[in-house]
Amino acid sequence: MTTSLSRRGLLGAGAGLGAAGLLSSCVGSGGGGDAGGDASSGGGGPLVFQNSIQDTAPKAALEQIVAGYEREVTMNSVATEQFRAQLTNYLRASDPPDVISWYAGSVARAYAAEGLLLDVSDLWTGDGACAGFSEALRELSTAEDGKQIFVPTNYYWWSVFYKRSAFEKWGVEPPSTWDEFLALCENLSGQGVIPLANGIGPTPWMASGWFDYLDLRINGPEYHLALLAGEHSFTDPEVVDVMEQYERLIPYFDPNMASYDAQQAATPLAQDEAGMYLVGAFVSQYLPEDQRDDLDFFSVPVINDAVPTAEEAPTDGFFAASGTDDPEGTKAFLSYLASPEQQEAFITGAGSSNLPTSPEVDPSQFSPLVQKGLELLNSTERITQFFNRDSSDALQTTADAALTKFLSDPSQRDSVLQEWQAAAERVHGS
Amino acid sequence: MSAPVLVAGRARPQRRRRRGRSPWLHVVMVPLTLAWVSPILFVLMIALRSFDDIAGRGLGALPASLTLDGFVGAFAGGGLLVALGNSLLVTAAGVVASLALSSWAAYALSRYRIPGRKAVLLVMLAGNLLPPQILLVPVAQITQSIGIYDTLFALTLVQVGFGIGFYTFVLHGFMRGLPEEMFEAARLDGAGAARIYAQLVLPLSRPSLAALAALATTWIFNDLIWALTVLRSETKFPITAALLNLQGGYSSQWNVIAAASLVAAVPTAVVFFIFQKQFVSGLLVGSNK
Repeated sequence: MTTSLSRRGLLGAGAGLGAAGLLSSCVGSGGGGDAGGDASSGGGGPLVFQNSIQDTAPKAALEQIVAGYEREVTMNSVATEQFRAQLTNYLRASDPPDVISWYAGSVARAYAAEGLLLDVSDLWTGDGACAGFSEALRELSTAEDGKQIFVPTNYYWWSVFYKRSAFEKWGVEPPSTWDEFLALCENLSGQGVIPLANGIGPTPWMASGWFDYLDLRINGPEYHLALLAGEHSFTDPEVVDVMEQYERLIPYFDPNMASYDAQQAATPLAQDEAGMYLVGAFVSQYLPEDQRDDLDFFSVPVINDAVPTAEEAPTDGFFAASGTDDPEGTKAFLSYLASPEQQEAFITGAGSSNLPTSPEVDPSQFSPLVQKGLELLNSTERITQFFNRDSSDALQTTADAALTKFLSDPSQRDSVLQEWQAAAERVHGS
Repeated sequence: MSAPVLVAGRARPQRRRRRGRSPWLHVVMVPLTLAWVSPILFVLMIALRSFDDIAGRGLGALPASLTLDGFVGAFAGGGLLVALGNSLLVTAAGVVASLALSSWAAYALSRYRIPGRKAVLLVMLAGNLLPPQILLVPVAQITQSIGIYDTLFALTLVQVGFGIGFYTFVLHGFMRGLPEEMFEAARLDGAGAARIYAQLVLPLSRPSLAALAALATTWIFNDLIWALTVLRSETKFPITAALLNLQGGYSSQWNVIAAASLVAAVPTAVVFFIFQKQFVSGLLVGSNK
């Protein structure tokens, strides 16, 4: 141990200056993982990778990927909510972590606008690791000044999940229209089954899932994104329409939803006491292992066929702090994380129904559920993310308060919407 | 009804004493104790179930089978043991350092006519009234700017800094109550300030020091907020932050979390049982002057 330390110390002292030169000579070699990695392992210590992915299997998969990198990387996993709170501190630190896992879209853009994120445009051009990614992903990863600041590595989709065996038992079929969907809810209710599982207690953002989808189906993605950006008011008649449909669903929700979190809400689904669950694909981790193959989904049916179809597909990935002292090594590591092989390794290992962002990953080896999810997203006209990722965590808080109140007492709809708008104005104003 | 009448004469004093202790004490305390212990039993039950059992039948169901999977999962990778080690290190260093410093301060403030000593004491106490939340960002910035961010030393320092005001206040109250005659006698015998502190004040303050040590141990060991503020590396996290880390963003292995929580509770439970008496007296420290 001591010998290796002293050797490293010597190397560090000797190669410290040289490495900088070596590194700059690697600029432009695209995903030059080899050259960048070797040169910097002598000079600047290990890269620091701050990770917020804490779900057991995905975390283990990511740890394995990081361990397989040629250069030493210190991976720090921090619980997601604490990570969210500390993220600004991480980025502003005088010695920030080099690579940070977080969300694409408006959240990343907000940090980029403050100059806290590293410009990774070169990964998106030429033979860079992200050059072949879809236009939608490129747009999602682009800051206001036109530079790319994000490296998306996987995403997942939201849909109405159900168990095939349970639908067979109850003699029902997935609906294809909104009226059929409401009739299905009524049918299941009549059979003594809770039609819609939900858990909005400790995870109040789950209430935004239905709000997002109803708004997308009734008013369309353009309106939805403009609403979240503060260009429309929550007191608009369009939003009132959404709330009217939402109100029709209230009797079908799990009566215990206010005390469940997203994960507990899946237990009635596992026990065939609840029929359907509008949730992200991570729901597969909520079910006992022997039920996961039974899981299927259908998209929320079209309500207004005049608006383009849209699905929610939150995109996860990595960005880097602009204050990193090893930008080339950081980009090399980002390229490694974004490579098709590592995406494939992550999705296989995580088992949480994620989709690859790289078109080079061969989807045929993934589970039928993941392939169906990929098909859904390929056939939809627009892709949005989720309420908080399309706006901000601050606006999500206003949605949580408003929707929780509305769900417990829908007769207060108008006053709830007014309060929501007032709160949203404070968020946009600040 | 008839038996008590028969033995009334001799048995009365004995019976009265017994009635004083039982049966109401037990009638009330037994259900209360069960209610108090039930969350821990609930956690223990979850820790002993498999994830599939919990996911399939709900958190509240009785175990279908018992397994140690949760504990195996909690100890997997060794992170929990490292975190436990970090916690013990910070707690031990924090308790010793803060009690040493605050006993010096309390000794000086209570026995010497230091100008503005009342103000010093009040400032120390006032510091405790500030909610720690408003100091998170400044503390993070300060530790970064002096280059100790992300070290266990920083965490210990913060714990000592935030504990010292209260400990000094309590010890000051206690030391002020020590009879002045003893100090005079010691001074007549030629003892200096350091000797008086070491041979007189410290031994006499043992009950209050023990009480504060017991309280400080649980406070520092159970702290989470400062750990998350000054630490960034997973390998330096104390047990509380490591426990939080077991919760996923979307899904959690409930049995693993429950098992790890039980493991994390063991050191504080041990401290509590060793210092049980001091805990109670600790709550009364300073109240009997």
